[in-house]
Amino acid sequence: MAKPKVAFYWCASCGGCEESIIDLAENILKVIEAVEFVIFPVAMDFKMKDVEALHDREIAVSFINGGIRTEEQEHMAKLLRKKSGIVVAYGACAHLGGTPGLANFFNRDMIFDYVYRKAPSVENPHNITPKPRTAVKQGDLTLPKFYDTVFTLDQVIDVDYYLPGCAPPPDLIMKAIEAILSGNLPPKGSVLAPDKSLCHTCKRKPTKPEKAIIKEIRRVHEVLLDPDRCFLDQGIICMGPATRDGCGERCINANMPCRGCFGSTSRVEDQGAKFLSALASVIDANDENEIRKITASIVDPAGVFYFYSLPASMLRRRRNIANE
Amino acid sequence: MSGGDKQGIMKAGVGVYFCSCGTNISENIDIDELVRFTSTLDTVEYVKSHNLLCSEEGKNYLAEDIIKQKPDRVVIAACTPKEHEKTFRNVLQKAGLNPYLFQMVNLREQVAWATSDKSSATEKAKSYIRAAVARVALQEPLEEREIDCNTDVLVIGAGPAGMEAALLLAKAGRKVYLVEKNSFIGGRVARYEEVFPKMECASCMMEPKMDEVLHHENIELLTCSEVQEVLGFLGNFVVRVRKKAGYVDKNKCIGCGACYDQCPVTVKNEFDYNLSDRKAIHVPYTGALPNVPVIDCMSCLRFEGRSDVYKQALDQGLITKREYETFKAEDCRLCKEACLFDAINYEDKDEVIEREVGGIVVATGFELFDPSVLPQFGYGVYPEVYTSLEFERILSQTGPTCGKLLMKDGREPESVAIIHCVGSRDKDFKDYCSGVCCLYALKFARLVEKHAPSVKVYDFYADWCVPGKDNQAFLDSIKKWKNIKFIHTTLPMNVPVKKRNGKLSLACTDVSNGKHVVSADMVVLCPAMVPAKDTARLSELLLIARGKEGFFAEGHTKLAPVSTNMEGIFIAGCSQGPKDIQGSVAQAAAAAGEVLSALVPGRKLKLDVLTAEIDENACAECRICIGLCPYNAIVLDKEKNVAVVNTVLCKGCGTCVAACPSGSARSRHFTTEQIFAEIEGVLK
Amino acid sequence: MCTGRIDPQFVLKAFEKGADGVLILGCHPGDCHYREGNYNALRRFHLLKKMLDQFGIEDGRFRLDWVSASEAEKFVGVINDMVKKVKALGPLKPAPPLPLSKKKGRGDIQAEAHG
Repeated sequence: MAKPKVAFYWCASCGGCEESIIDLAENILKVIEAVEFVIFPVAMDFKMKDVEALHDREIAVSFINGGIRTEEQEHMAKLLRKKSGIVVAYGACAHLGGTPGLANFFNRDMIFDYVYRKAPSVENPHNITPKPRTAVKQGDLTLPKFYDTVFTLDQVIDVDYYLPGCAPPPDLIMKAIEAILSGNLPPKGSVLAPDKSLCHTCKRKPTKPEKAIIKEIRRVHEVLLDPDRCFLDQGIICMGPATRDGCGERCINANMPCRGCFGSTSRVEDQGAKFLSALASVIDANDENEIRKITASIVDPAGVFYFYSLPASMLRRRRNIANE
Repeated sequence: MSGGDKQGIMKAGVGVYFCSCGTNISENIDIDELVRFTSTLDTVEYVKSHNLLCSEEGKNYLAEDIIKQKPDRVVIAACTPKEHEKTFRNVLQKAGLNPYLFQMVNLREQVAWATSDKSSATEKAKSYIRAAVARVALQEPLEEREIDCNTDVLVIGAGPAGMEAALLLAKAGRKVYLVEKNSFIGGRVARYEEVFPKMECASCMMEPKMDEVLHHENIELLTCSEVQEVLGFLGNFVVRVRKKAGYVDKNKCIGCGACYDQCPVTVKNEFDYNLSDRKAIHVPYTGALPNVPVIDCMSCLRFEGRSDVYKQALDQGLITKREYETFKAEDCRLCKEACLFDAINYEDKDEVIEREVGGIVVATGFELFDPSVLPQFGYGVYPEVYTSLEFERILSQTGPTCGKLLMKDGREPESVAIIHCVGSRDKDFKDYCSGVCCLYALKFARLVEKHAPSVKVYDFYADWCVPGKDNQAFLDSIKKWKNIKFIHTTLPMNVPVKKRNGKLSLACTDVSNGKHVVSADMVVLCPAMVPAKDTARLSELLLIARGKEGFFAEGHTKLAPVSTNMEGIFIAGCSQGPKDIQGSVAQAAAAAGEVLSALVPGRKLKLDVLTAEIDENACAECRICIGLCPYNAIVLDKEKNVAVVNTVLCKGCGTCVAACPSGSARSRHFTTEQIFAEIEGVLK
Repeated sequence: MCTGRIDPQFVLKAFEKGADGVLILGCHPGDCHYREGNYNALRRFHLLKKMLDQFGIEDGRFRLDWVSASEAEKFVGVINDMVKKVKALGPLKPAPPLPLSKKKGRGDIQAEAHG
């Protein structure tokens, strides 16, 4: 019997997701034995026409990482959708937009202006910026269109499952692959991770006071972080209470607070808003000026609360500068 | 909504009823158009309209139609839910449909009466209908719950209000625990000489009541006691009261006074506002009831408090080391030796008494605004400047001068000045009028006249506040006294008191621009009434709200004057706001009535249906919610490691639900999904 | 229900679905029927307002005010003022349309709906 075909693809992301397959260590051998990779950009060469030549649904499962930021990414996502039985949004960027999604606080013009003109390391005397089409002697050169807004994968194609994390941890990857290979699948649309928040397994929980109260908010570089005490109790923003469990607290074990890469639980639609609500609720002030003072100490609320999930949020992007 | 979104939603055949409210709604909204529009909504099975659904005929029609049509859910577009939500819920219940599978749309107040243009009103109505139809599909059937209740009552404070409430409740057969922080009952009033306007003897008036309280079999009086902890809710409170050691066995003591005659320690008597002295073992004033002395362990030689005093005296060089040793070593037993009834028990200890009650009446009284913060009056600087409460004691036969009008040097004054509105009706201090000062100032004048008719009285007032059927006549009668002079000034706060030629001198300009300089031997200030010191602590303890002036806040100014924000806790007397004895007693009777009505032996209590709940399979114990609950209804289940809502304590405010970062807390009937559906429906 | 029940998600949901302004009206501080729900609303409001600014949602579009049941005049005044300010700002710019026209569905809520 032919081995099931598996594709990995890489859209608007750092590429760490594809490398996370390496985190499987010896288990990767089991995977290789069980499946045939047809597309795997970080590991092997492939051509678009090879993908186009596949029958519809010939690929058993496509793991697509990264959000959708360009025309080409949209095209590939749609192509893979057509050729795959199952599509898994792999990692925080495909799932929620991820950190590249923070670009939604700007627009294309602002991004190009900075990246191709204003960034301190840029020297661009001819003011050249990417264009979808550039005429040269030999003919027209084309670049995929760069969108004004980053989208999550499921805003572009129908997604069957979500494997969360930046990047997904090996145990969840292995569990997901085993489930797919065995056909023992949860309902469509499931996030393949526990549905409680991170506090559930956090080792620091015993140090959290019974009644959470925050008198001031501090940033990680401003204080020496206690390696054992609940971050919120130290006045450090930790997204753990509003973030899905299952990551193995890799950040917390490295004495860094949770930034929310697993997204919210299934019961929450907007992770950032929900965290905001929780945080504001435990601010220890009733006086309006005092509240303003504490609020002012949260320097970049949108950037922190939507570190990974801006494109998936209800508002999706900064509104007053949207071009299209 | 697209069709796909509705998968997974429970069966949701919605019946929609429009009420024209006579012409109130139909005049400004095109009901026919609404009916047409509503029938196009996906989940709507049928739409009906009626002229007046809240009428008997309308309710019968609704019930019959629901029985006939068997809708899964119902939307009624009519008036405000405040008016008829309950009415229609009852109809639904009768028709066999769970009353929470129903949503009401307020087309009358919020649309017909608020939007003048008929076509825009109709469009606005459509968006409301869309919201309700979307929301009702997600509503869940909810069941009412009932619990048993305790009908005993805790009354805090044994002044006129507390005693009245306790007596009425006791007479109705309720067990009452009456907690009083002092060793005596009767509050401040029992220490007055006479009360306005009929110049009745205060102690003669109070004593029969006090006697009844002391001897009523249904009243357990806990003096020298303070409420320390209150847990629970209407019908099921558990209270803990700390009863301080008094060192005298009230069952053995006959009140002969032999003990305090022998006591070697003399200190200022705070119950006479430090105008007299008392012993370490004392009754606070002659005639105090119960007539049982207590030992003040802060001044008694036997106790730590006293040795601290001596230690301090030694450190400051006020006594010699030898004297200190004598004092310190003193095992004074004089009072015990003097007692013929072996009533003194030095081994007495504080105890914490726990009682279960169903209701609580709080009647903790008032204090006076401290006039020493107003330097213009010289209070605390000139010995002959008094507050009204101090002056009450001077006029009282049980007070420091045995009722004789005397100055501190023992002379009778030639003149007395009274200043109204001290710290009152002034936005920098207390902006309210206490409502009793004018009348007790008149009472003072009458008592001065009685005690020392030749003494002149100067009364600096701003406006007369003498409402009620007897009080104007009282004022008029005092005005006839030739030795009183009323000086009408806009601001009594601007009448400075100075010392001149051995007398106090008061100068002011009256409302007619007349200049007055008055010389007085005694000055009596009438300060604003403020909440008793313990009010803030009790507010925290009982979770009852206070208004901006610090008094306990009533449920509604007009219609719920003795209720609080906590069911089962009522307020009476000056703890709710400044008032006279009559008002306090009336409130106490009202509070007793509220308790009797809320707690009926044998009757069960209905619990709130619309509470919060936390999904124990979802909660990760992040603890965000626990400190937020204003009713302490959320606790950690240490075995399951989840937060749990006590749905008996929960009032359903939803604060925890909004805060819950993992979406594990839900508000019954106000779930996030229901509210989302409503928002989306309105905005579609 | 109380202003304390207001989940910032409600406010975002309204803006997401096309509201041009969101106005929260609650009981005056110290006068909350549920003791202190309005203080929670106040704390969430200030942080949310700061965050909405980062989303390009202008100052006049989101407001919290205290109006008691007896303050009809204030109620009317606040509403009229809000309407005036929002009208002056004009419609809120929508987010771009989603390439896949379906309700966004990440996670198990939708899964349950399909099941």
